[in-house]
Amino acid sequence: MAHIPNSQASRAPGCARRCKYDPTFAMADERSSKVSMPERKRSWSPADANSSTKRMKVEDDDKKAIESNPYLSHWNDNSNGYVNGKLPPGSALNQFKRRETTAKQAAKAEDGDNNPFTGEPHSEQYFSILKSRRNLPVHKQRQEFLDAYHKSQILVFVGETGSGKTTQIPQYVIYDELPHLNHKMVACTQPRRVAAMSVAQRVADELDVNLGEEVGYSIRFEDKTSSKTILKYMTDGMLLREAMHDHALSRYSCIILDEAHERTLATDILMALLKGITQRRPDLKLIVMSATLDAQKFQRYFFDAPLLVVPGRTHPVEIFYTPEPEKDYVEGAIRTVLQIHASEAEGDILLFLTGEEEIEDTCRKISLEVDELVRETDCGPMAVYPLYGTLPPHQQQKIFDPPPAPFKKGGRPGRKCIISTNIAETSLTIDGIVYVVDPGFSKQKIYNPRLRVESLLVSAISKASAQQRAGRAGRTKPGKCFRLYTEKAFKEELIEQTYPEILRSNLANTVLELKKLGVEDLVHFDLMDPPAPETMMRALEELNYLACLDDEGELTQLGSLASEFPLDPALAVMLISSPEFYCSNEILSLTALLSVPQIFVRPAQKRREADEMKNLFKHNDGDHLTMLNVYHAFKGVLGRGEDGKKWCHQHYLSFRHLSSADNVRAQLKRIMETHNIDLVSTDFNDRDYYTNIRRALVAGFFMQVAKRENNKVYRTLKDNNSAVMLHPSTVLGADYEWVIYNEFVLTSKQYVRTVTGIRPEWLLELAPQYYDLGSWEGQKDVKQALKAVADKMRRRAAMKASR
Amino acid sequence: MGAEEWSDNDDADKVPLQHKRPFGSGLRRKQVVFVPASSGPLDSVNETKPPEPSKSVADMYLSIVLPTENGDPSTGTVETNVAGLDICDICKLPMDESSEGTDAGRLPKRPHQASIAHQVCMTHSHPPSSLDRSRMGLGVLQAQGWDPDAGTGLGALNQGISFPIKAKPKNDTLGLGVEVPKDFVPKKKDKPQMLDAKRVRKMAAEDKKRHEKLRHQFFGNSDVEKYLGLG
Repeated sequence: MAHIPNSQASRAPGCARRCKYDPTFAMADERSSKVSMPERKRSWSPADANSSTKRMKVEDDDKKAIESNPYLSHWNDNSNGYVNGKLPPGSALNQFKRRETTAKQAAKAEDGDNNPFTGEPHSEQYFSILKSRRNLPVHKQRQEFLDAYHKSQILVFVGETGSGKTTQIPQYVIYDELPHLNHKMVACTQPRRVAAMSVAQRVADELDVNLGEEVGYSIRFEDKTSSKTILKYMTDGMLLREAMHDHALSRYSCIILDEAHERTLATDILMALLKGITQRRPDLKLIVMSATLDAQKFQRYFFDAPLLVVPGRTHPVEIFYTPEPEKDYVEGAIRTVLQIHASEAEGDILLFLTGEEEIEDTCRKISLEVDELVRETDCGPMAVYPLYGTLPPHQQQKIFDPPPAPFKKGGRPGRKCIISTNIAETSLTIDGIVYVVDPGFSKQKIYNPRLRVESLLVSAISKASAQQRAGRAGRTKPGKCFRLYTEKAFKEELIEQTYPEILRSNLANTVLELKKLGVEDLVHFDLMDPPAPETMMRALEELNYLACLDDEGELTQLGSLASEFPLDPALAVMLISSPEFYCSNEILSLTALLSVPQIFVRPAQKRREADEMKNLFKHNDGDHLTMLNVYHAFKGVLGRGEDGKKWCHQHYLSFRHLSSADNVRAQLKRIMETHNIDLVSTDFNDRDYYTNIRRALVAGFFMQVAKRENNKVYRTLKDNNSAVMLHPSTVLGADYEWVIYNEFVLTSKQYVRTVTGIRPEWLLELAPQYYDLGSWEGQKDVKQALKAVADKMRRRAAMKASR
Repeated sequence: MGAEEWSDNDDADKVPLQHKRPFGSGLRRKQVVFVPASSGPLDSVNETKPPEPSKSVADMYLSIVLPTENGDPSTGTVETNVAGLDICDICKLPMDESSEGTDAGRLPKRPHQASIAHQVCMTHSHPPSSLDRSRMGLGVLQAQGWDPDAGTGLGALNQGISFPIKAKPKNDTLGLGVEVPKDFVPKKKDKPQMLDAKRVRKMAAEDKKRHEKLRHQFFGNSDVEKYLGLG
């Protein structure tokens, strides 16, 4: 996390040049400039062409360093000739007046030979990017934007995808806000980690600076900013976490909430918070950016803030419906794609489907069909790519490959077909898409507070979502959108807007965050779409059982500590209480493993081999301990200096997810250390090594317990009273009547996944409040079993006492 | 590539291999037909103009339903008509209704309080919520001023939803808008049957019997049978 330059620094910007040269300090500066040289190397820089200019520049830097105040060298990083709190000499920004600039001034500064922020000469690449930036629709309205920005504290900005708002508006703001002069940053939030990273990289290129210096990003478990950062892209969740410690968000002078139309949980909370903060801090500016025309809702919410609209899509999209409903949308989609390939003009295809399995399956089918098509007709080649969240990045990158070349010169052009979940709907922009096939479904998370189950369900999309999908076809030229449903279905069956995430989520984490944010009154907290009271009550109760809130709903010490961890409350509580069970090292590893996607890989063609490999790590007590075995083996391999990637590949494990678990573990460890949570382990040869871990698991997950009913069917306890099966991936060797589970999966059947066997005594011992038999209605057999256990425990205790 | 090429797929098997049309392997060669949208193409160039906030449909609706005082003469006339009568505080209607309705004479005269207009305007109480009163979460929300029995939601103006969103799981690939008949039972896949010796013997005997019967039907001749004494 970038630290704020101290107050002395903020008062001193002018004095730097007045001070005299002191050789001893200049030495230090020289050294630092040399050290930082390799860092400044850009991946794209045409290194050979201007290496000589680079060398010159370094010497220049040294001269400038001499000029600057040596007493400030402990916080000045002069290596780039740019001093925090002061613009480089000769910068075009020196004449700028904060919040009074014009588009003309800014354009002049951008056209200059030297970078106004770093003082370095602009690269060639910069000017070519600048040219393309000026062709973006948003550029024409720069002055209009600045006028509106100067006049109002809150601004609602609507720009369709492709208008360039995500990359350009923050840059317009820093040219106007001049963040280094008042030591406040500009933040731009993104709902997705990938977007935050890739946009930050793009903007760093556009501004001709290094990523992580003037422009940086901050996402969960990764922070790429420095003391020099003036523009920070971050996930909305990260800004929320920052607000937990800095209720007024005083580090920022302008906050841009991008993709607000997606209405993620964190964005919704941030909007409610910022609505209050802007009242208290008149100097804080807020820009709410949305891609849809539903902006009036935002306007109304933010005290009728002015609205600025930039047209984005420049090409019309023709929309087609089927005259009759499609019997099978997957088959219909495949045939539509082939039809387009056979009969439509050049242009890439984007098909929206719901999930990973469906997408991979369809990819295979379409590839086969296209081969057939090519053999039989003079069709061009077609490359088919899947796209979904859990796809490894290098495979995700493939969607940006150019379409395949025609088979022979002058033959029919090739095209690519991207089969995607709804991540291609708003966030990811793929150029060249001309045809969109929309079956009208997506997977949505829905939380049921009565059953306490969060499930991903395939459901019909909303009208807004359908329009957004169609819009993807008109990015490069006039496009077509094929909807696999009737116009009547579109009008009558689709809801207007997708339900915001806050109405569809478990709010336990949110309530904890709100409490930490100092929100006392949960009832009248001014959210745009307040959640259902039952969902809120359930969240409060869950936190109460976890002892994060007391009976009056006030934050306890444990709750305050738990909110420091970017984890679900149950995981955080488990981690915090693990030293009591002498296994915090192991629980820390497990928490990290549970925070990353599935580490076991099970390719469709090699299921048996994968399962055999998984059995190597099998622990009879269940999946948690099996995962721990994997992690320890992985660390062992890395420790011996072997090739972890190869080892993972051989053992059907995901190297990427294991490494990221490793990274997450390091981050969590740091948090634990700052809060003085002991890192201890039971001796591995101790009989209770694994028992302790299982007991620690119960301390966090006592609300996710199932008891066996008959041979294969388990029943989950208390409110979530449903019959479940153990997921086929489960490795549970011994016969356990009671299990804890990490995940409740709702597909055609109900499963619990990642399961570990436990003893019922632990439930009564570690969560007596939750398993208070007196206040529990229903589930007589379960209660009876627990009562028997309680009696047994009492007898045993009595015997011990009498001895 | 003409569209009609896809449609005649019935005689696909007779076509020589080299003339076979695409969509061969897995799928039936049936074209997905599309009709253009009635509203025309999605044209954002014209569409992106923000609708004037004051000219929204809601405002238009309001201007029709709740006309301004001076703009609509009818409200004025009503007031003059009823000036002499008592106005009910709740429904803002004259207390004495007998002079109005034409069929009032037929019906026994009801007190004003029993009229439908009055009843509808009354603030009515909802049935109490079914939430368990001992829940800790309810207690906290109540302490912060939420009334479970009011039927309202959370939020600054209690404008939130009152009940959680429900969703149906969908485990098929039926397209959007396909209506499934109520008595529809998804076909169950037949499990492959295991054969044992006894069953095989039985099947062979059945086969033999059927064969015999067929042979008899084809080649049997009643005259010959009579001669042989079989018939």
